[in-house]
Amino acid sequence: MSFVGVDGLRAVFAILQAAGMLAAAPLLKAVIKKMKARLQNRQGPPLLQVYYDLAKLLHKEPVRSETASWVYVAGPRVYFAAAIAATTLVPVLMATAPLEAAGGILLLVGTLALGRFALATAALDTGSAFGGMGASRDMTIAALAEPALMLGLFTSALAAGSLNLGGLVRSVLHNGVTFHPSDLLAFAGLFIIVIAETGRIPVDNPATHLELTMIHEAMVLEYAGPDLALVEWASAVKELLYLTLLADLFMPTGIGTSTAPGAIAVAFVAWAGKVFLLAVAVTVAESTNAKLRLFRVPELVSISLGLAFLALAIRFL
Amino acid sequence: MVTSDLLILCAAGMLVSAYLMVGQKALFTAIRLYSVQSLLLGIVAVTMAVSESRHELFATAAITVILKAIVIPWFLMRVIDRIGIHREIEPFLNVPASLLVCVGLTVVGYRVSTGFPVGARNVSHHLIGVALSMVLIGLFLMVTRKKAITQILALLTVENAVFLVAVGVTTGMPLVVELGIAFDVILAVLVLGILVHRIVDRFESMDVSRLSKLKG
Repeated sequence: MSFVGVDGLRAVFAILQAAGMLAAAPLLKAVIKKMKARLQNRQGPPLLQVYYDLAKLLHKEPVRSETASWVYVAGPRVYFAAAIAATTLVPVLMATAPLEAAGGILLLVGTLALGRFALATAALDTGSAFGGMGASRDMTIAALAEPALMLGLFTSALAAGSLNLGGLVRSVLHNGVTFHPSDLLAFAGLFIIVIAETGRIPVDNPATHLELTMIHEAMVLEYAGPDLALVEWASAVKELLYLTLLADLFMPTGIGTSTAPGAIAVAFVAWAGKVFLLAVAVTVAESTNAKLRLFRVPELVSISLGLAFLALAIRFL
Repeated sequence: MVTSDLLILCAAGMLVSAYLMVGQKALFTAIRLYSVQSLLLGIVAVTMAVSESRHELFATAAITVILKAIVIPWFLMRVIDRIGIHREIEPFLNVPASLLVCVGLTVVGYRVSTGFPVGARNVSHHLIGVALSMVLIGLFLMVTRKKAITQILALLTVENAVFLVAVGVTTGMPLVVELGIAFDVILAVLVLGILVHRIVDRFESMDVSRLSKLKG
């Protein structure tokens, strides 16, 4: 592929992709919110409301606790930076990730874990009860979700013979899409993980601040103004990233293999369509399920861990 | 999408539904999962009927969908509604441990299916693997769950698995046999439904482990 030959071009490509993901991520959140509202016979906020909210938060003056140290200030920034860095490791429109030379699946999972770690330590920093509770809950779920995510991704990597996400997509395109039962098992497992990691309903409720149930919201309860905007924006980017990842791994058809404008346009439409379909699935899952009791969440995540492990085992047989 | 892909997709879907049934405590959801599983079996039958032009399989598909995806789930939901018991409270083995055991059972089922002749590669290999795994998972569910309804569902899962092999791998069964099996299944569910009523009447619970108290 000639367009990734030069380092400079690669950097431009990475910046463009990160900027595009940053711009598109709030829209995904808005679309899910809107569809959810429609399913409940409500009108829902206009699609651009998410952007207005972010702009409003970014213009506010940061309010921080007197006991907060630099960890508290660094938390949202590291979280945001990790989310942006992760977007450059995933193929979106092209069958290659901008910075795929830097690493593949392991780096992606590690980068996301770094962001989560920064946010959790920041939540502990002020010493408030809510922050500590939120951080401990988030870590409990993450400790189970992360191995499941790795196993699910490894299943696809094993089939393609590459840990590199770009290489993985290219190999699937090259060999043609062949179906194996483990794909469905891995997809089911990863879908549950996406729900858990993005704090959607059976696991967490993004719409409430009820002290008994909240997980992610409890962790970031103390943040205000630009800090809060960074956290929310990064969460949106992470959600878009996970859905893109599912689309890449399990239905790579339509992804661009050349820089011709036509191919990119097709790839963009295909990508938007696939992410929208997955968003519909997330919305339906969120609207038809009741929130699980906190102590039953590990049960749900262990189902996905089992599915992912099974997918990997069947690959070998 | 190629025929073999569709077959494998449906079979894998059946396995996932059996697996979710293990991880599920709400009886309504378990019944819905069984209904989805039967629907997928129906799709397998239709796919085989179209791709290998075995038209008698359309009858099988129709029987499967109408009976197992609609009538039996409806009947079981009515039974649950009547007796008002909606959850499997405490299985003999908790959910994560059951899931772990089922992962092991599936690996065993798959491993055994590789022992079949070389002609049974690819699609047949996966179908047999899925079916064997589902038989084992169904038997495991029957042993570890206390509620009579879950045990019925487990039995029906085993039956679905056997049907999957019969439809997908062999050259098929005569229609008479199929009708006989269908009739058997519906009778079994009816009888078991009545039995559940009787158990609940006597013990005010669906817990079959209490039946051992009947010993004199």
